[in-house]
Formats: sequence, structure tokens, C-alpha cells
Amino acid sequence: MSLKDLFERDVQELEAEGILFTSLQNLVKWGRSNSMWPVTFGLACCAIEMMAATNARNDLARFGSEVFRASPRQADVMIVAGRLSKKMAPVMRRVYEQMPDPKWVISMGACASSGGMFNNYAIVQNVDSVVPVDIFVPGCPPRPESLIYAVQQLQKKVRGEAFDGNGVQLPMVEGWSRS
Amino acid sequence: MSALLERLAELGGVQHEFKGMTSVTVPKRAVLDALRAARADGLEMLTDIHGMDYLTYPGHTGKRFAVIYNVHDVAGRRRLFIRVDLDDGETLPTATGLWSGASFLERETFDMMGVVFDGHPDLRKLLTPEDLEGHPHRKDFPLGETPTLFGDGRFLDPASFRAGLSGRDQGLTGWKGGARDGVVASQTPKAPGTAQRPEKSGS
Amino acid sequence: MSKGTVVKHDTELGAFDTQHMRINVGPQHPSTHGVLRLVVDLDGERIVSLRPHVGYLHTGFEKTMENRTYQQGVTYSNRMDYVNGFAHDLAYILGVEKLIGARVPERAQRVRVILTELNRIASHLVFFGTTLLDMGALTPFFYTMREREVLQDIFESVSGVRMNYGYFRVGGLYRDVPENFEPMVRQFVKEFPDYLDQYKDLFMGNDILEARTRGVAVLTRQQALDWCLTGPSLRASGVPLDFRKAAPYSGYQDYDFDVPCYDDGDIWARMQVRMDEMHESLRIVAQAIDMLEPGPTIDPDRRISLPPRHELENSMEAVIFHFKLVTEGFHPPKGEVYVPTESARGELGYYIASDGGSMPYRVKVRAPSLANLQSLEVSSRGGLFADMVINIASFDPVLGDVDK
Repeated sequence: MSLKDLFERDVQELEAEGILFTSLQNLVKWGRSNSMWPVTFGLACCAIEMMAATNARNDLARFGSEVFRASPRQADVMIVAGRLSKKMAPVMRRVYEQMPDPKWVISMGACASSGGMFNNYAIVQNVDSVVPVDIFVPGCPPRPESLIYAVQQLQKKVRGEAFDGNGVQLPMVEGWSRS
Repeated sequence: MSALLERLAELGGVQHEFKGMTSVTVPKRAVLDALRAARADGLEMLTDIHGMDYLTYPGHTGKRFAVIYNVHDVAGRRRLFIRVDLDDGETLPTATGLWSGASFLERETFDMMGVVFDGHPDLRKLLTPEDLEGHPHRKDFPLGETPTLFGDGRFLDPASFRAGLSGRDQGLTGWKGGARDGVVASQTPKAPGTAQRPEKSGS
Repeated sequence: MSKGTVVKHDTELGAFDTQHMRINVGPQHPSTHGVLRLVVDLDGERIVSLRPHVGYLHTGFEKTMENRTYQQGVTYSNRMDYVNGFAHDLAYILGVEKLIGARVPERAQRVRVILTELNRIASHLVFFGTTLLDMGALTPFFYTMREREVLQDIFESVSGVRMNYGYFRVGGLYRDVPENFEPMVRQFVKEFPDYLDQYKDLFMGNDILEARTRGVAVLTRQQALDWCLTGPSLRASGVPLDFRKAAPYSGYQDYDFDVPCYDDGDIWARMQVRMDEMHESLRIVAQAIDMLEPGPTIDPDRRISLPPRHELENSMEAVIFHFKLVTEGFHPPKGEVYVPTESARGELGYYIASDGGSMPYRVKVRAPSLANLQSLEVSSRGGLFADMVINIASFDPVLGDVDK
């Protein structure tokens, strides 16, 4: 069929023939949110629960996180699982900077979100001071179901379906203009 | 074990028993000989080397630090703690000549307590970051707590709402709960001049 | 020999010079068991020297525990070795109980043994899953995690959490086990031997695994004793030391079990020891659950443990004890104790010093993984880089245990 037909015929007819119409933004939303590959950044106890979230009972892979890439260059999201010590903080910043845009961070567990039960000289009290965090997951350690819920919330945020505290809808995350 | 204890007494060791644990405090110059004697007697596994800081210990009148070597035999039945009392700044000879595995253990003691081991092949910090100055397990090193921000805007320092009491605190009433019947705490300090150790009670 | 050393080769291809290459492995790396950093000097693919750098997970546990009461210390102890949390809880609680002279009732001891041995099985399952993952086998991870989920269901029914339990108290347990504890444990004891046989065939009978692990990274008995190694890795080098037999605690002398020991000292032996240990742990659990009798689950001395809630309605002394224990905690007499126990990684003991207050004066954790990590260099030297990766896994270090 010619290009002229695409503009003149009915959308439903063309869909029945296997041609879909969408906006680029929707396509990008769908692609990004449904294939978030985490980078392996398990630090402590939460890492074991992150591994448990990928096992057969709580399967994180069905939501798109099919593989945990060891190389940050091939990953989208960094799940900071565990307590971040001050010796490890520069390493984490470096791994974060090696991830290509668009990238997101999930701070998993109480220790990553706020220092947890370790209010002392050795632990960074909020990972947000090192990398910009999108989702905080409470728990010590959070259940695998909590982590799956957090990944789903992040997917909503990426698609632009997230709401802030006042009920105002947040825009879809723009990959190229990330601060 | 009695032959070993006699040999350690010859080296200047003072023995004490507490709840089935035998420990011998030896003078600093004799620590390697004591370890060699223990090894020759069959206690050929070194389990742990760690330091103790008695700065805020109530009733302590000896040297500030103690380094404790924990050795036991291959069957795991006989265990001996060899203690050395030290002041700040005193150094100990390294045990890596006897057990190569003392390397990390001595590095950890150096990092946490500041005890320098002469002759150690690579004495540098093990656990703490490079830019942390000081030795964290010393009693004059602060815990480093961040003040807690409460919902109504107050900042409180966590030490002010901590539950426990240290040994020096009298608490609200001075009554310390008491121990189980039959467990008696000895409160009399040792006479000056003898090797000072924390008070031991009968088992 | 260090980086930059020129090595001269004279082969049939002609003479050429090479240099040692220094590679940094970690601290973020898929094949290390946590944040372990290694600086490896390589001559081609052969390892010349290897230096571990640890401390990337240093949390200051010991100093934090010195600022909490004895009972609050239980919250911290299981987060050190998070894979084998009950072992650390037990070692700490036994130390405090020795210090204060608590008498633990028999039912509490049996339940402690059951939970600790089930935790040992869970820890060895993680070992097999991750070691085989390091070797490139992706599926065994899902098999072992399936068993582990069943165990975590048991732990959750008992303590409320799947990991980082706070179930043990000084003098016994937090509360009695629920009614479905015994059927769940019996069900596990009935089903697990089949899975264990499957694993023996699938993992240890696999040709590729045998080729990769037999004779690789051998650690002789003398080297193992020299480098302060303990635990299953030591038993794989010919020293049958197990503190559950040598210095029995918590009623271990009542159970009939063997201590597997091999002489080879290679990676295969270290894996086989852990496979056999799972079997022995299951035997202990089966015996303990049969010997479980109804009874109290905590030391009735009110100076140590909280009174039951119904007593608070009638007795003023109970209210006072409750108040003192909750606001201040109990005060053990002055003294220093050390109780050696056997965790899944080696000899674990807490050296606890009391100054008469309700917070410990000094807590020193004799963590098995820190001493075990030193054996890495001597057993990897001269071997291939790829073998080093599974060698790390075979010593089963947990970095929370190393860095404390």
C-alpha cells in the first residue's frame, strides 16, 4: 500500500492488518519501563533478599528485570541493597557515573535510606547524599515482595504515572535532561 | 597444660581462671616466648588477636591497653588466653613469624586500637577508610552519631535517650539489678603493684 | 616479584619478554561474595600474588554494640553474617549467658539447636547456589533457593522475619514456637533428603565441576593451620575440628552426628564437606525435633528475663523488674568471657567484657571469615585467574563477617 493510504484509511482497519500507531513518547515509555536491568550492587543483607526476589518464588524477571548486569555500562537501574560504608561511597559514585543515561536508583532497605540502625562513624546516613535516589524501600530487610512493589512504582514513575505528595502528576522521566 | 603454665610462670606470667577460661598475663618482652611455648605444648592454632582499652573501666589502675592472644589446640579442647598489658605508644613484636595468619589479625588490632606490631610485613589499616584518622575502638574515639531530627523540628543527640548504663553510672537509684544467686561480683580492687586485670568473680 | 617485573621466556616461537600485570578485582564485581577487593598480579593467566583489601562494608558493629544494652545487642549480631544469622545470635547470647550465669531451659536449648542447624543448611544452600553461579551454572541457584524459601518460611513462622532474626533472648527464647513449627520442620526433614540426593548427583557428580575443582587450589594441612583457617575449609584440609563436638554448647552432646573430614584440601573437598554437613545437620534436626518436650522457654530469674504479662497485673516486684529491665537492662558482674561456637564458616566467638554496667564494655567478634580470607592468597598462587574466582567462593566468605 502506498504512503497515501496510511493517511486516508481508518486506524482500526490498519491495526487489523498489523500496523500500530503510537506516539514516540509512548513507545519509549513502554520500552524503558518494561526492561529495567539492574546493576549488581548488593552490599549486605539486603543483597540476599534481592537475590531472593529473583528466585523462582518471587520472580522479579517477569517484570522486566531479566538479568542483573555486572557491568554498569549495560544497566538501567542501580538497586543499592545494603549498608553503604564511607569507604565504599566513592566506589558507588563511580559505578553510578559509569551507568549511561537514563538511569534510576532504588535505595533498598533502612540502612541505605537513612543509615538504619547504624548511626555511627562508618555508615553513610542517607544514600541520597551520594547518588540521586528515586525510590526508597523501607524494611530490614525489605521482603522480596516489597522490592517488586518498588520496581513497579519505579516503572510507573518512568511512564509518567506517578504522583507527588500533593497529588500533582509527575512528568515522564526525560532521559536526556537529567540533573 | 600444667607444664605449660609452669613454663609461662617462669617467663613472668600471672595466671587467672574465670568460669573455665585460663588466661596468663605475661610481660611484653616474653610474649613471643610464651606463644612459642604454647605452640610447643600443642596449642598450635592461633584464633584471635585483639586489643582492650581500659580507659573508662571503673576501678582499673594498670596500663591502659591489653592485647590478648587466643590460642587453642587442634582438638579444640584446651584454650589459653595470653595477655600483655601495654601503655599508649608501646609496641609489641609481631607474631607473623610463628603464624602467618596473624597478619590480618594484627592489622585489625592496629587499625582499631592503635597497637603497633614491630616487624609486621605490611602494617596498615585494614577495615577503616584511608581518610579516617584515629583508632575507632579506643574509648576516646566518639561513636560519631548524627543527631536525630524529630518531626516537630527538634534535633536530639542519641546519647541523651539511650537505654543502657555504663559501669560508672549510678543510674536513678543505684540498684543494679543484682546477679543470679550464687554469682558474686567481687568489688575489691587489687593491691597496687600486682598485674591489674578486670575483676573476676567465682563461677 | 611485583608489577613491572620483566619475565624472560624462551620458547619455540622465539625469545620474548613479558611483564606482570596488576589487575584490580572489585569491590563491585559479580563474582565476589560481597564487596571484596583484590589486587592481583598476573603472569599471563597465572597468579603471582594476590592481596585482598577489605573494609568496604565496615559498619562499626563492635563499637555500636558497646553503646546498646546486652539485650539490644541481639539486633546487631545477626546482621554481621547475614546468611547464618542464628549462629551469631547464639554465640553472642551464649557469651552473655555465661557472664550473667543464666540457666537456659531444655526446650529452649533444643529449639535453638534446631533453628541453628536449619540455618546452617540454609547457609550451605546459598554457598552451593552462588559457587555454582560463579562457575557459570545458572540453574542450581534456583534449585537451592527453592529449598531455602521453605526454610525461611519456618524462620518466619518462628520469629516474624525471613532474615536478621531477633528471636533468641538471654536465658532462652523470645516466645514459644508456634503450633505449626513442628509439622513444618518434620515436613522439611522428610522432603529434604531427596533434594540432597539430587544435588549430590547434579552438582558433585557433574564432570565439568569435577574437572574444575579437583586438585585445584590445594591447601595443605600445615598451610591451613599456619594461616589460622577454621571451619569446613579446615575440615577439607584434614583437620577434624568442630566445636560442636570439641566444646559442646546448648546441648549438642545429646545428639549423634559425624563431622565430615577430607584430606585433599582442594576446592572439591571444600564443597564435599559442606554437602556432607547438610546431611549431618538434618540428622541433628531430626533428633532434636523428636526430643522436644513441652516446658518453659526462658530462664525464670526475673533479674534476667522479662516477667510474663499476666504477672504484671498482680505482682509489684514483677512491675519493678520489668521497668528496670526495659529502661536499663540487666547488669552482669564484672568479667570477660569467650564462648567458641561453630558457625557455617568456622569458629565463631564473642569476647564480651563487662564492667558492671548494662552495656557491654567491649565486644570483640572473632569472625571466621576474616581469618579464612587470608588462605586465599596461598591457595591461589600459581593457579589460573578463573580458578581464583571459584576459590574465593569455596572459602565461603561473607563480607559482613569480615568487615564487621
